[in-house]
Amino acid sequence: MDPTTTNRKRVKAMQSTTQSPATELRSSTNGLPEGVAPLAAEGVTVYRGGVRVLDGVTFTAGPNCLMGVVGPNGAGKSTLFNAIVGLLKVDEGQVLIHGSPVDDARGLIAYVPQHENVNWRVPMSVWDVVMQGRTKKIGWLRRPALADRWRVEEALEQVGMIDRRSALVSNLSGGQRQRVFVARALAQGADVLLLDEAFSGVDIASQETLVTVLHELRDQGRTILLSSHDIAHVAHYCDECLCINCRVCACGAPDEVLTPDVLIEMYGPHGVGSIHGKALDGHRH
Amino acid sequence: MDIVTEALIGPFQYGFMLRALLVSVLVGIMCPVLGAYVVVRGLGFMTDGLAHSLLPGLVVAALLVSFISSEWLILVPNAIAFALVIGFLSKRTGLSEDTSIGILFAGLFALGLTLLTAARGLRVSLESVLLGQVLGVSRDDVIITGILAVVVIALLFALHKEMVFATFDPLGSSVMGLPTQALDYLLLVLLAVVILIALQAVGIVLVISMLITPAAAAQLLTQRFTVAMVVGAAIGVASAIIGLYVSFHYNLASGPVMALSATAFFVVALALKQGTTHIGGRMARSQA
Repeated sequence: MDPTTTNRKRVKAMQSTTQSPATELRSSTNGLPEGVAPLAAEGVTVYRGGVRVLDGVTFTAGPNCLMGVVGPNGAGKSTLFNAIVGLLKVDEGQVLIHGSPVDDARGLIAYVPQHENVNWRVPMSVWDVVMQGRTKKIGWLRRPALADRWRVEEALEQVGMIDRRSALVSNLSGGQRQRVFVARALAQGADVLLLDEAFSGVDIASQETLVTVLHELRDQGRTILLSSHDIAHVAHYCDECLCINCRVCACGAPDEVLTPDVLIEMYGPHGVGSIHGKALDGHRH
Repeated sequence: MDIVTEALIGPFQYGFMLRALLVSVLVGIMCPVLGAYVVVRGLGFMTDGLAHSLLPGLVVAALLVSFISSEWLILVPNAIAFALVIGFLSKRTGLSEDTSIGILFAGLFALGLTLLTAARGLRVSLESVLLGQVLGVSRDDVIITGILAVVVIALLFALHKEMVFATFDPLGSSVMGLPTQALDYLLLVLLAVVILIALQAVGIVLVISMLITPAAAAQLLTQRFTVAMVVGAAIGVASAIIGLYVSFHYNLASGPVMALSATAFFVVALALKQGTTHIGGRMARSQA
């Protein structure tokens, strides 16, 4: 049998397995195909209005990995994220989640949206937002069960937001909101998390708390991709760095890939001076 | 019977008033429940556009009424079709959403007015279409309004968590695998059906007042979306009943009085909200 088909069946089987909430939250990779990268992009090419915005993007992100995606404005960071989560059609190539196409592994991938993509006029409590992570598991026409409430509680504890469970999420700071959305991903049982512009609107103290949570999740085996326009953040916080400017310029440990040549390839010779200084600042932290 | 009881119960000794009450209460419940989505999704102009674009269908239904068993057989499919068309065009034309809606709504409303003035001997008058004529509803209208209300409320209740998720975070809900676009279209279809029902009470011009005003007032009074739906429905029902009483006792058009009552509730809610914020701010400052 084709190995991809086998993996798909295993991923589907894993998604339908009913585990105790605690077990599922802490070891979400149980039952997944071994030796297959949680996230793999193979020659991903996307056209928009006839213009190629992503050109043959290929990389893999393993378990226990916090990968930062950097590139100039218009480099295709958000497009790449949208392609990975299946919001955009990939014209060439493919994205695999644990060896399966995204449509077969939706429960395993979660997306933390950018601030401006959320409708903050809807008055939602922290608890309700995290419970959204259980929507597919609860199913159509049904109400949350006790197990769903456990999962939400545990996810909120893990990101340190349990005390704010009744607060309106629109009243929280940027960093707290990000943690609530991360908790929603945990309640969902996702083990591949994508955070688009993760530090946008997040003050420095909250950034540290958010990164501590992300490092904990990474250490539990999850794969986390975050995009940031600030290269110093990625150099400072991430294990791996994916440098893109329509195509992949480099991918690897930040101190290995954030070289002047790669930065020039991404930002051009004029923009690279200040960027390189910031990247070096990031390493020194 | 004392004078107060007479004033309260008296109007409903007439069958037409009782039918009007039933329809008004159903409109008062449904509009704010759906209106909660209209307010947070910013669909006010879409609502107004949908209401105006239903005019040609109303005229055609009135023209064909002698050939079909019920006008609703034309009105409901027409409303659903226009909801889907407006939803599709607002997403796909490449023009901005308000431009697409504006073009369609003005064009269809103009078509409806032309048909209305061209057709002779219709039992539908322009005034009743624009301002509503709840006192003229028939027994069949009440039954169909009841059935549609049950369907709309049941769907909103059954799909509540999915609909709220898609409203709050459309991208996140799509990533999770919810059919977010289908839910958007469903909401528009429900909106069109509720507008159609509300037209009987408040007419094309004022339907937006029943959909938006009680829901907006409720969202000022509570910070929970679901609670706002219930509070909004209470305000909607109160506005509808006040409208009926005032129109009966003072011989005024009921639709505008319902809209005025809803506006008055909004002003009170705004004052309460401002007062609470002001007092809360002063208490916080004095404690500091």
